[in-house]
Amino acid sequence: MDLISTFIFLSSGLFLGWSLGANDASNVFGTAVGSRMVRFSTAAVICSVFIIIGSVTAGAGAAGGLGKLGAVNALAGSFTVALAAALTVLWMTKLGLPVSTSQAVVGAIVGWNWFSGSVTNINDLIKIMGTWVACPILAAIFAAVIYKLVVLLIENTKPHLLSLDNNIRWGLILVGAFGSYTLGANNIGNVMGVFVPSSPFENLKIAGIFDISAVEQLFLLGAIAIAVGVFTYSKQVMMTVGGSLMTLSPVGALVVVLANSLVLFTFSSQELSNFVVGLGLPPIPLIPVSSSQAVVGAVIGIALLKGIKGVRQVKWGVLGGIASGWITTPVIAAIISFVLLFIVQNVFNQEVYQTASVPVSTPVIEVLGDKS
Amino acid sequence: MSKETPALFGKTKLLEGQIDEFLDKVAEGAIYFERGITAFLEEGNIAETCEEKLLQITGLKERCRDLQRSIVNVLYSEMLIPDFRADVLRLLTDLFSLLDLMGKNFQDLMIERDQNKEIESQIEETENKIGKKEFLDLVQVVVKSIETVIIAARNFFRDPKSVKDHTYQVRVYESEADKIAISLKKKIFATDYKFSEKINLRDIVNAIDSIADLAESVADELDIYAIQRTL
Repeated sequence: MDLISTFIFLSSGLFLGWSLGANDASNVFGTAVGSRMVRFSTAAVICSVFIIIGSVTAGAGAAGGLGKLGAVNALAGSFTVALAAALTVLWMTKLGLPVSTSQAVVGAIVGWNWFSGSVTNINDLIKIMGTWVACPILAAIFAAVIYKLVVLLIENTKPHLLSLDNNIRWGLILVGAFGSYTLGANNIGNVMGVFVPSSPFENLKIAGIFDISAVEQLFLLGAIAIAVGVFTYSKQVMMTVGGSLMTLSPVGALVVVLANSLVLFTFSSQELSNFVVGLGLPPIPLIPVSSSQAVVGAVIGIALLKGIKGVRQVKWGVLGGIASGWITTPVIAAIISFVLLFIVQNVFNQEVYQTASVPVSTPVIEVLGDKS
Repeated sequence: MSKETPALFGKTKLLEGQIDEFLDKVAEGAIYFERGITAFLEEGNIAETCEEKLLQITGLKERCRDLQRSIVNVLYSEMLIPDFRADVLRLLTDLFSLLDLMGKNFQDLMIERDQNKEIESQIEETENKIGKKEFLDLVQVVVKSIETVIIAARNFFRDPKSVKDHTYQVRVYESEADKIAISLKKKIFATDYKFSEKINLRDIVNAIDSIADLAESVADELDIYAIQRTL
């Protein structure tokens, strides 16, 4: 396949990447830039660099989690699935409905399964939907615990307002870098995950030393698209994001970003999952989750910690919107995906899935025969 | 000048030092004010001590003005404490106006010295009725209110939760100052001085008492700043 065709097919994923960079960078650096604690140019450079590092070095885990739901095995199919997800996000955003790219991508993959006649593994689907619910809850718990610890530390050390400001500024930069890394690691699956089974790239060896796999090249491209989104459009979002759910102190803002980053890290780190398994616990599902919903969860965690005073400050309608989005987003994305796949296959004559034949051995037929 | 623009960490430390120095100077001003007025009342004329204290307060005002400008410049040009710099700016302005009022009132007292000389002698003559002690009590309570508001201001920067303990004390001192002032004014108007002298004495009492009133206003503002800073 020539380069231009490859880019045309990847364009829907790159668009998803661009919109992810434009919107989700604000979850990491929004408060810092919106409150003018960190300059936008500083934030954009750090954010882009660490998103790329996270995507390329640690993106495989969460992207693999999506692959279990449905391996989109034709490039035109991947293009259509990503396009369906992007259109769902665009349409729901225009309608003012809360939407998550992760949920739209899952819905679009289920739409592909539906269209191609592939079986959707219900257990995997339930596991993925479970992470959507767990994500804000976990963020709330992380935020509450970290906030309590930070407040205790500040009350005991009593730093000067200016020293505290200085420390928070550095904290926002460090946590922002970590958050960008985890955003790349976790959310690159949304952007390029559907292209993994049908990747048009070949493994590369640079100067006979560095191996760059096809998947890493794909993730690098997606990460660059995210970085372009950060540079071109995230400033407006960052400037307007502050105080949308609840007014936060600079310390609160720092804790929210850290809690968000830890949640994304939890759902994308293979090492952490292995560690948990080593403790005799079930593995952590590595799935792309919504950083926006993690932020909402973290803010609510801090609000609950503050008691009735904090609870009153939260705009609770936002939570209802998020919960409804858990159902509406994937359903709409699945329907759009199905319709688009039909159009791409029948109008544009593109192969949107490859029929895979699975050889069934004689013992299996005997077992099935016995069961029937 | 190079000391004014050190690196990022240095700037924080420099500003902390400047804010501390500003607060020290205002507190120092309250001491000079107390010593000056005491000398004025006890010596009964414009003694060398009074002139010296007035000069010292004037010097402090100049230094505080410079510090205030420098602090505000760095806060805004370096975009430090974006959520609180307006509060810090207002707090410094309020505290400076306290120092300014002490200096102005003390200076007025000195300018009106010819009249005051006579009043001073009258205060001595009528010890039982007006008494220097009550004047000195008023000055001491007023100075206490300033010292306490400075402690509250220091705590705003390090321990905002404890600010209200001190601002409460400022209100108590202000209320005490009002009581002493009312008692003094009643005594002044119960004497057989000339009306113009009574008015002059009343103005002196009001001028001293007004410093505690201003300290209370600063304390009220500080309470709000501290609530905003509470985590």
